[in-house]
Amino acid sequence: MDTKRLETARLFHRFAFGPRPGEFAQALSDGVAKTKSKVLSQPLIDAGEVPAPVITDLGPRPAPNSAGVVAFSQSLRFENQQMLLWWLDQMVKSERQLQEKLVWFWHGHWATSIGKVNYSLPMYNQNKTFRKYALGNFSDFAQAMFSDGALQIWLDGGDNNVKAPNENLSREMMELFVLGVNRYTETDVKELARAFTGYQVTRSAGVVTYNEKRRDTKAVTVLGKTGVLSPEQAIAHLVSQPDCGKFIAERIWFRFISSATALPDNHAMISAFNKREVSQLVSTLVNGADLADPNYSIVKQPVEWFVGVCRALSLTPSKLDSYSKLYGYLSKMSQIPFEPPNVGGWPADESWLSSASAQFRVAFATWLVGQADLSSITAIAPAQRSAYLLDLLGVVEWTPRTMFALRDVRDSEVKLLILAICSPEYVVSV
Amino acid sequence: MNEKPVFSHEQLGMKTVTRRQFLKYSGVSAAAATSLLSVDEIASAAITRPLPLGTPILVVVTLYGGNDGLNTVIPYQDPAYYTARPGLTYKPETLLPLSDGMALNASMTGIKSLWDSQKVAIIRGVGYPKPDRSHFSSMAIWQTGSPQNHLNTGWLGRWLDSQPIDPMTAISLGSVLPPLLAGAKQSGSALPLGGLSIPNGQIGKACVRLSVKSQNDNPLMAAAATSMRNLFNLSGSITPVLAQPAPLADDLPTVSGGNAGGDSNLSQQLNLVAKLIAAGSPTKIWSVSLGGFDTHANEANAQATLLGTVSSSITKFLSQMKASGRSKDITVMVYSEFGRRVKGNGSDGTDHGTAGSMFLIGDRVQGGMYGDQPSLTKLIDGDLAVTTDFRDVYSSVIDSVLQTPAEKILNNWSGRVKAFKPV
Repeated sequence: MDTKRLETARLFHRFAFGPRPGEFAQALSDGVAKTKSKVLSQPLIDAGEVPAPVITDLGPRPAPNSAGVVAFSQSLRFENQQMLLWWLDQMVKSERQLQEKLVWFWHGHWATSIGKVNYSLPMYNQNKTFRKYALGNFSDFAQAMFSDGALQIWLDGGDNNVKAPNENLSREMMELFVLGVNRYTETDVKELARAFTGYQVTRSAGVVTYNEKRRDTKAVTVLGKTGVLSPEQAIAHLVSQPDCGKFIAERIWFRFISSATALPDNHAMISAFNKREVSQLVSTLVNGADLADPNYSIVKQPVEWFVGVCRALSLTPSKLDSYSKLYGYLSKMSQIPFEPPNVGGWPADESWLSSASAQFRVAFATWLVGQADLSSITAIAPAQRSAYLLDLLGVVEWTPRTMFALRDVRDSEVKLLILAICSPEYVVSV
Repeated sequence: MNEKPVFSHEQLGMKTVTRRQFLKYSGVSAAAATSLLSVDEIASAAITRPLPLGTPILVVVTLYGGNDGLNTVIPYQDPAYYTARPGLTYKPETLLPLSDGMALNASMTGIKSLWDSQKVAIIRGVGYPKPDRSHFSSMAIWQTGSPQNHLNTGWLGRWLDSQPIDPMTAISLGSVLPPLLAGAKQSGSALPLGGLSIPNGQIGKACVRLSVKSQNDNPLMAAAATSMRNLFNLSGSITPVLAQPAPLADDLPTVSGGNAGGDSNLSQQLNLVAKLIAAGSPTKIWSVSLGGFDTHANEANAQATLLGTVSSSITKFLSQMKASGRSKDITVMVYSEFGRRVKGNGSDGTDHGTAGSMFLIGDRVQGGMYGDQPSLTKLIDGDLAVTTDFRDVYSSVIDSVLQTPAEKILNNWSGRVKAFKPV
């Protein structure tokens, strides 16, 4: 396998949402080193930034059958739609692709679903927090997430009080967000829950407020530290644990390099993260040797696949011919942004490769390709088209199997593209 | 196909039975395969190799979120039950008494009547050593069948590995495959509720080509190709069956035009399973699921609704199976990743706990209570003690339903729950 193409393709598909027309060929001529530095250098001003949606506090839901309930539901639906399209457009159009890819990663990390939160505003604010800290300091990030309304609603923070602690947030803070499973005891979970008591959330706006009466003011012991700990102190203590560095490196590894192989012991990402700067961890990974190792392939998540197709075919999600069709396809592929299945986030690899997803992918691809301007392919002689598609899509190489399949439909630009984006070579980031 | 093949069949990964099915449902005839199959063809496609009558069938029902066992099979005569969780107990007179001082949640009338006909085994206090209270870790433990070591295969996936390669052997409803059906050599198939349909015409033909294995595939690319291949195999077999009406459940009362609990997602899943079993699908394992059991708040009503759905869906399904002549072959197994705390929290809900109850339901089951009821007063860290290891139940299911020695699949596990009738 051509290592230069392999590394270049991985840079585009893992640290961005795939190449736009011309970018892959340009990167090949630039060389891997220059491409790496381009991937890591984020423009200060994002020329591709999509205008922010208008998301407002819709207030409490009117009583069933009351006068305002229909208008309320319509506003809620409209806001959800605007918010989803804004994010998808942003993934496709942003010039700050690494940042955008990390926002997507953190959404799966602090996995919060609008299915329970119900309102757009707290979800939108959470997404803005992901943007603020995507490549920033993880310690500050974790502090900000404690005060995140959507996360507090999602994990029953408002139910956690001195009389009856609710452990949902404290457990996940350790298991899924900061340390990793089994790096704490059950006692730590219970004690941390006490340190997290006293906060309530207004659901429609996601504003977190403090209520002294609900606060457990006694000392707690969390991971060996005893005292009357504020949430800030407790979280700072968690983030300072060596296990936090290891865990975040493991999660980045899992999503960007391999879910099948564990993070190697003492990987350079761990020490690069000793100040908890995400950017340093990510640049260490990009500049390391793992991207050249042919063993580390990964299945694109459905949203990554969809956004990659949009970028290659110059499609804009909000301008596709039907929002409900778009939502329907994402739903059938089992991945709608803002709606992860549970707090563990999205599944990985083979989970996305069922016979069902194969069927929906072909239908989704057919719908998308039908809306694309394919004149650049028309301009290429049929015999040269599969080679042209390699660079357009950022594919390392076609197997003889896929060459054979593509050859059969090469006279039809539409069919050729449908096949190419449904091929194992494109579905998987090889 | 009129052009000359460039590759041999072996290079294309097309072999024997798979290849024949492929050729039959692919290529030029793809369109016909989805829409124009006759009843005779259903007999040969749906079910080219119908499951012989009398072959046991396992239906696994996963309750996601951690079902509160204490409010499912309720120790309603124990005063400690009422003192531990005020605000989320039920009135004793509303419950459905079983035996041994236990009663079923009032919403589970269907399962109660199956209990009365000795078709329900309830295994109490089921869990595993060093309980993990994380949804994901605990569900992974239950689905891999391995509390100590992380495994990449599910317990039923390992059983699949012992079987001939066939995407019809184990089928999960829904588009994402649960880990319990993941094997090293083959995995179960996923069937979305809307059914499967294959691409038509030239695209369909090209997709078949795209779905063959290539020597240049890495494991994930091979898995992507396999998913497409399974789509063609499954679709050819299943699509005609799904177009048939569902079997009737005539011995159940109807409520406003449908069976109670009728249109829940679980009921829809089991409806498809019923159609396919009735058509003779060569499937020995079905996986269905229901979520929403993570009742940290306002539990009593929410859980009763969910348990009512579980009960009515299973009851309807077993009733639907009667006309097929296969109802005697079916065993339904119900489990969740953990039970919940004995003591309620401040939100009239419960936090994550440990042991819970499992159900085995069917004609092959020896009805009754199994496993000791954990004490409500001798708690371990506020949680119920585990009295039965879930591997005892799995082993018995593998032995009795899948008719395979369980030791190979569960690392020489020797415990059993004698909840099946002797054959």
